[in-house]
Amino acid sequence: MNRLTSTLSNLKANNQKALVAYLVAGDPDMDSTLDLMHLFVESGVDVIEIGVPFTDPIAEGPTIQRAHDRALKNNISLKMILSLVDEFRKSNKETPIVLMGYLNTFISHIDLVQATGKDGIDSILVVDIPGELNLETYGISNPNINTISLISPTTKENRVELIANNSTGFIYYVNLRGVTGSSNLNISEIENNIGRIKKYTDLPTLAGFGIKTTEDAKTLAKFSDGIIIGSSIVEMINEASTTKEFDRIGKYIKDMKIAIS
Amino acid sequence: MTSNKFNYPDKEGFFGEFGGKFVPETLMYALEELENTYSKLKDDKDFIKEFYSDLSAFVGRPSPLYFAQRLTDKYKSGNIWLKREDLNHTGAHKINNTVGQILLAKHMGKKRIIAETGAGQHGVATATVAARLGLECHIYMGSEDVRRQSLNVYRIKLLGAHVHAVDSGSATLKDALNEAMRDWVSNIDDTYYIIGSVTGPHPYPMIVRDFNSVVGQEVIKQSKDLFNKMPDAIVACVGGGSNAMGIFYPFIEVQETRLIGVEAGGKGVSTGEHAAPLNDGTPGVLHGARSYLMQDEAGQVKDTKSVSAGLDYPGVGPEHSWLKDIGRAEYVAVSDDDALKAFHEVTELEGIMPALETAHAFAYLEPLMKELDSSSNVVINVSGRGDKDINTVAEIDGIEF
Ligand SMILES: Cc1ncc(COP(=O)(O)O)c(C=O)c1O
Repeated sequence: MNRLTSTLSNLKANNQKALVAYLVAGDPDMDSTLDLMHLFVESGVDVIEIGVPFTDPIAEGPTIQRAHDRALKNNISLKMILSLVDEFRKSNKETPIVLMGYLNTFISHIDLVQATGKDGIDSILVVDIPGELNLETYGISNPNINTISLISPTTKENRVELIANNSTGFIYYVNLRGVTGSSNLNISEIENNIGRIKKYTDLPTLAGFGIKTTEDAKTLAKFSDGIIIGSSIVEMINEASTTKEFDRIGKYIKDMKIAIS
Repeated sequence: MTSNKFNYPDKEGFFGEFGGKFVPETLMYALEELENTYSKLKDDKDFIKEFYSDLSAFVGRPSPLYFAQRLTDKYKSGNIWLKREDLNHTGAHKINNTVGQILLAKHMGKKRIIAETGAGQHGVATATVAARLGLECHIYMGSEDVRRQSLNVYRIKLLGAHVHAVDSGSATLKDALNEAMRDWVSNIDDTYYIIGSVTGPHPYPMIVRDFNSVVGQEVIKQSKDLFNKMPDAIVACVGGGSNAMGIFYPFIEVQETRLIGVEAGGKGVSTGEHAAPLNDGTPGVLHGARSYLMQDEAGQVKDTKSVSAGLDYPGVGPEHSWLKDIGRAEYVAVSDDDALKAFHEVTELEGIMPALETAHAFAYLEPLMKELDSSSNVVINVSGRGDKDINTVAEIDGIEF
């Protein structure tokens, strides 16, 4: 079974919520990214989401945009990211890894995506495509990799089912109308919309975008299968980019884990 | 709205393998809403009447097809005609599109208008129609373009719109588009995004083309009246491709007319420092559509270089990619230096100062006229006037005010 699928179903079986943490590969450098991935796991992260840097990340707010820019200055490519994952897998074969990125970088490296074996990445999330688009049309298909679709507050009911059926990893519910790092979560709208998704699918539904505090995490974990945190971690990584003292991030993640438990 | 039998894009928004809707999920509902509104209104008699009456009374259409005597005399190998989009209100073809799209916004009850701009012409054209309807308006513009098109920035502000300088990436048109899309995702319920070229996700390339195709329709009629046959060639500059698509579209089925798009060759196509994706790019996905794109092997979008802000874009409208691949249109490139030379020459010979974008189309007369004989008729789409570029040209010529 796919590593992501089994991790999420084990959590569910134990009545636990998934904690997904995001970073951008190569920000501030690849060695730090590898250290941070291990730190994530030690601190309680269930799934690691790696942002693949792109020159034009239209779904990102300023914090993550700048991280993409910093990574691109280091010439980070999908090829390097897959090698990084190989390195990580030498000591960790359990934690699922999701690549989150933009279609153009994936279709430029279809050969690499297809060559990925069992002990590599586990899932791909493409941000700039409609949820019902089948990635196989673009040559992105590999039995070792599943795909994650996004559903947003503006997704009409007739498309929710279409999108849910197209997703194989989990459903990523976008909490707000906006880019990553925005604020102002509308809790009752999120609750309603996740409830609506659950009418159509048994796939785990995780909530992401705009989650910053342990209170946000605690509230959202009540009606989702897990939460995804990005911008606040990326901000902390940037603040520690010269000292490389990432302890604060470990503590932040531990607090988040407690909040959703 | 268009009489063309030529039936693209398809239902999914594709021109062959180009186009589509590659956007974050949040935008899907807005695109669907726009598509539904447009498909209802485009054949609605009242809507068409309102659009054409605005084009006539507010924009000043039809624009003349003007015989360029001294340019013709210079080349001595065919008659050169100028389609005078520079005479439109606000000084470029961009207003044809904004007059149409603001009507769509009005019908959809949107209260807030956003747009990206490169040369500032689309920003001015958008701020103009927003002012006319009293709508809040925000224009995104790369900070490099804010600098080199400062005159237009001030015009936009005078019209009551807010200008947001964008510092990210290369700080030009592509980055302004990124930022406009982010605004749209964040304010989707009350905001209408007026894209300024035949780019972006479906249905924009179709809508912007349709509104601009009034230009080509007029040329068909004017050609019959003025020289009693169809032109042998039509030449237009290509940034995103809206002025070119507007004049090409009604001619796609007119096989005797060559359609020639001129991209920005910057320092020369062979140097890699240019903005000519149809000459030196590969298919990729940017800003919602699959089209020719300037990108590296890793799929990262390359920085562009052009003296003309309006052409300084690494992508191009998907319909042009398709016309290139099926061989119906030809796409060439002209360097900064040749465009600047043409800018001065046309100004001096014809008393018409073209925009630097348009100067690229004029510069291609040099090689083109060598291929033609004296009975031929060539139409240049004069997409805009050059007033906005005076600072840039003066700077290059070493002149201080
Ligand atoms: C006068 C003029 N011509 C051409 C262009 C290029 O746009 P397009 O290729 O969409 O016509 C611009 C864009 O700003 C412009 O201002």
